[in-house]
Order: sequence, then structure tokens, then C-alpha cells
Amino acid sequence: MSAYITLMTPMTDEECLLAALADVGFDRTKVEVHVNPVRLMGYQVDRQIREANLVIRRQHVGSVYNDVGFLATPTGYQAFVSDDDPRFGAGWLELLNQQYQLHAEAKQQRMAEEERQHLEAARKKLVEAQRATICAKAKKLGYQVKETRAGDSIRLVLVKRTY
Amino acid sequence: MQLNLARTLQRSAANGPGERFVIWVQGCPLACPGCWNPDTWTAQPRMLRDTQDLTAEILATEGLTGVTFSGGEPFIQARALTAVAKEVRAAGLSVFIFTGFTRAELKSQAARALLAVTDVLVCGRYVASERVYDLPWRSSANQRVHFLTSRHGPADMTQAPEAEIRIGPDGQLTLTGLPGSKLLGSI
Repeated sequence: MSAYITLMTPMTDEECLLAALADVGFDRTKVEVHVNPVRLMGYQVDRQIREANLVIRRQHVGSVYNDVGFLATPTGYQAFVSDDDPRFGAGWLELLNQQYQLHAEAKQQRMAEEERQHLEAARKKLVEAQRATICAKAKKLGYQVKETRAGDSIRLVLVKRTY
Repeated sequence: MQLNLARTLQRSAANGPGERFVIWVQGCPLACPGCWNPDTWTAQPRMLRDTQDLTAEILATEGLTGVTFSGGEPFIQARALTAVAKEVRAAGLSVFIFTGFTRAELKSQAARALLAVTDVLVCGRYVASERVYDLPWRSSANQRVHFLTSRHGPADMTQAPEAEIRIGPDGQLTLTGLPGSKLLGSI
């Protein structure tokens, strides 16, 4: 069969992400917020230094596991969770994302027109960042990328093979 | 007649030759380990579509080369898909099917009726231990491509896109086609 895989809608808003984390049990007393990313503890085994702007330390997660972190990137927050922790896998991220979307929608409803325009500009910037990131990664993997646009949606067709 | 569907995509270049309207049916008894779309296994009603309505939507979509049936398992709903296939072929579109059954297993009257209105058949279970990345339209080496009419041929396999990524207005990513693990991992 051919694949049809929908990935999570990016989480870009700190306020909404903090609210979503509170919904899933991590209120502000358990989440560190850093303007500049700080190092996550527990990732030394694979010798990778991981950093994040929003951090839930191990004492709130469980001492045998790594810190949970969210790094702000141009394409939205990138989540770092322990691969071997069954509580914080894809299902947990999906639930968090659902809560995030609820808060994001509610925030948009509350906004004044000027703020909405600001949000719209941020949305367009995010989509462009997604496009640029995917194109760069695909080209690095050897794909030729054919891009078409329809309204606000972008389609990237990836061709690599020549038979 | 009704179809139980998982989803449709009005336009894709990574699900067979040319621009195609793709229909992922709901329900698959094969449940191959490592399947892309395990959410399509259950036969519980998900998105019920009248075949005539669906056909009308396909025919109203401009610039298509054809229609692709994927899933789920298309041959479980062979009778209803045959109705769609007949109509779209009469309008000049080709029919391409991804099935988990082997050609030899497609012997029932309903299966033969669907094969009679199919141009390209990609068949065979997905076998994770035989995963391949360099065969067009196939995910594992045991799968076979059959050109059942002269509408398409091996030449269509050259430069077949491996995958297609859509970025929605909210930044949501959707991936379709037969993406390799490196591509999936990098995204």
C-alpha cells in the first residue's frame, strides 16, 4: 500500500504550549522557561548535547528517565523525550498537541485584529520555514524537489530514482 | 452502493503514474506487520461515501491522469470499486491498484470484475524483512507490478516520485507515496 501519514501540526506559541503542558500534568511550577536554550540532563549516553527552552526536569518526570524538553526552532517546538519511557511517547505528544491546538484556537478568538495580523504573518513564516527545511533535507538525501502551490498549501514532490 | 473509506486525496503524483485521485479504503484483513497505515485495518465504518458521489468528485477534478485505489485492502470492497472504476475509465482515466493479495489470490468473481477495469496492479503482502527502497511503487521485494492494459508501461516507472509532502496552511505536514526510512526520519 502507499503511505498516507499525517504529522502533528507544529506548536509555535510558548503560552499555548505551557497551557497544554499544564493540562497534561505539568503546571508552571514544574516547567522551566528559558529565553536561551539550556542543556537537558540525561542525554549523555549517546554523547549528544541536547538543549531546550522549555524543560521538565527528571524529578518531575521520573529519575530513571531523561529531562523532557522543547526547543524553539523556526519550524515550531522540537520535543525531546526519552525513547524508552512509555509514558512520554508518540501518544503523549499527540495528546499534548491536541491540547495545544485547543489553546491556540481559544487564543486566536481572544485576539484583537492587530494581533491576528501578527499571528497570520507568523503562520506564513512558519510554513515557509517548513518548506525551506524540508527542501534542504530532501536535497541532502539526494531528492529532486518539484514544488507547486495551491492557495495556502504547498506540495513538494520528491524524485530520486532513475530506473 | 457505498464505500467505506479511510481518506481521499484529490491530487497526488506519488501514487502511480501522473496526477492521480487517490482513495484509501477502510478495512484490511491482511494486517501486514510494519504496514504504513494500520489505522485502515479495522472494517468499522469510517467515512461512508456513495460511489456515484465519489465518481462525480473524481470527474470534477481537472487534470487527472487516473485514479489509485490503496488502503486498507481495495479488493475487500471490489464490487463498489468496480462501479467507480468503470465510470472513471469511461471518462478516459486510468485505474491503478495497490493490493496486499497476490495475483493468484484474486480469483473471486468480484475480484476478476475489478481486475477487468484495472490498468496497473501492484500486488503482494508487505514483508518487512524484504523492504526495498529502489523499486518503483513497491515497498518489499516480493511485490509485483502487472500492467494489465497498454495504457501504462515500464516507461512510467522511470522518474516515479518516491514521495510527496504537503504543507498545510497551519504548517501541518502530510506525507504520501512510498517514502524511505531516511526521509521519514529526517522529517
